[in-house]
Amino acid sequence: MNCDEINIWLDTLLEEINEIKVTRKSERRVRVDVDASSLPALLELLKGKASYVHLSAISCVDWPDDEEFELVYHCWSYEAKSLLSAHTRIPRNTCEEFAHYVSIYDIYKPAGFFERDIYEMYGIYFESSPFMEKFILTEWNGPPPMRKDFDAEAYVNETFNWAEYNPDWLQEITEEGGGIEIRPEDVRL
Amino acid sequence: MRPENYQAVSLPSSNEYEIFIGPNHPGIEGNYAFKLRLDGDVVISGKADAGYLHRGFEKLMEGRLWIQNLAIVPRICVPDPVPMEVVYSLSVEAISDMEVPERGQWIRVMQLELSRVAAHLFTFGGHAATTGMYTPMFWGVADRDLALDLFEELTGGRVYHIYNIPGGVRRDIPAGFLDRLENYLDYLESRQNDYDNLLFTNQIFVKRARGIGVINKEQALEWGVTGPNLRACGLAFDVRRDDPYLIYDKLDFDIPIIDEGDALARILVRRDELFQSVRILRQIIKHLPSVKGPVRSPIPNPLAWNVPAGESYSRVESSKGELAYYTVSDGGPKPYRVHVRGPSSMHAVQVLENLAVGARIEDVAQIMFSLDACPPEVDR
Repeated sequence: MNCDEINIWLDTLLEEINEIKVTRKSERRVRVDVDASSLPALLELLKGKASYVHLSAISCVDWPDDEEFELVYHCWSYEAKSLLSAHTRIPRNTCEEFAHYVSIYDIYKPAGFFERDIYEMYGIYFESSPFMEKFILTEWNGPPPMRKDFDAEAYVNETFNWAEYNPDWLQEITEEGGGIEIRPEDVRL
Repeated sequence: MRPENYQAVSLPSSNEYEIFIGPNHPGIEGNYAFKLRLDGDVVISGKADAGYLHRGFEKLMEGRLWIQNLAIVPRICVPDPVPMEVVYSLSVEAISDMEVPERGQWIRVMQLELSRVAAHLFTFGGHAATTGMYTPMFWGVADRDLALDLFEELTGGRVYHIYNIPGGVRRDIPAGFLDRLENYLDYLESRQNDYDNLLFTNQIFVKRARGIGVINKEQALEWGVTGPNLRACGLAFDVRRDDPYLIYDKLDFDIPIIDEGDALARILVRRDELFQSVRILRQIIKHLPSVKGPVRSPIPNPLAWNVPAGESYSRVESSKGELAYYTVSDGGPKPYRVHVRGPSSMHAVQVLENLAVGARIEDVAQIMFSLDACPPEVDR
């Protein structure tokens, strides 16, 4: 199968799935917006029938105003030389309980890493993934830190005490007109 | 895991035992731990343990201006920082529909290839050191230092250059820089024989590295292996050729592949790639003087720059593999989301865990270094 045939095949395939919107952004970038219920089926077809064998990444974007998480699956086809980004949205829950979605580890093995990352950073539980455990933030008990409603500066102010740091050598430099002057209005994280 | 939180577990008596490799050890370029379960000296299972380098880059970047983030991105991979700057700049340019002047593109490719040379020299040294050969390590680091001297002249920084900005590069090359670059390339080629004798055809090393950590083609595709590790399995995929960016489609270079897929194949692919980079750099030295014009296109006031709303998935080929940034802008002065997809997030975790099973304990460090993983790309 050559590149053109794959692309024609892909177009007919995409027409068959419900609630799907395809945008060709450039020669090698395709954006697909798909309903959350159809996404695993789409990926299964993409990998099995349309040569998209490489899962490049899964990205998560938090949209608190819409009460939604956006999940983006970037798949690359070595034969068609095109990168397909499948966007889907799932409902967002509060920090205390997890949002849920289904794992695609059985379709793409690299998904295990990215799903675990999203689980830690955004608190989305991927059902049927074997990796739903702490990996990077093993000793973190706070809310998922990459969510937009997690305020890192407020967390630091609550958790740690700010220490005065004004040693003698710095005072001497400051008196001579050098050093770093931090004005109160500049103090930020 | 912090040591004070580690609790020893007593298991029923058996031949099996657990051992920690890392977080500080020469098998990997940074702080990263690998927990092994062994029976005698054969590994039963391995478990990667990341988090020692987690500085929350992605969260930090959401709180900084678009231009300020340039100081953060090169820190995500220390041995090979230039691709990080370039891919971030590429993604900002893609969102804001900005063109890079041709001269700027040529200078960017020059840095990318010089950085690849430096990173591969570092890897040779490190890989050899895991087998107990320390001379290649000193040679590799010393020759890499000469590349860092060139970077210092070009950008002012040895490791973190912060030289690329959205729209191009900060300033033009200094007078006489291309001559000094050419001298360096001549020197590298004169060293080729020494390196081959010392390392790549040295039977002490070859016998030690052959057949270690074999990945076959099916496994490579299944586990998401990219870059030199994929090409060492006999699959010719290179982002520079198959998804070209900047001016790579105007350059003439080969993609070295080797079929074996073991640690030896991986280091030999990197050796060949280093000399392909030298070939690319020679073409740049020849063409760059004839490419006239500015090195960057004007950008708005960087402190009040609202990048238009949009998203982009930009990829480059770093010395480790496929490096990609997924960047989202909501039209504000700061990025809404930046997701870093480093090649090591595959190599250092799932691939390593799979390859370690059945290996001997003395080969684990070699397997780790032959994958050339960069732990900050996992932690971010």
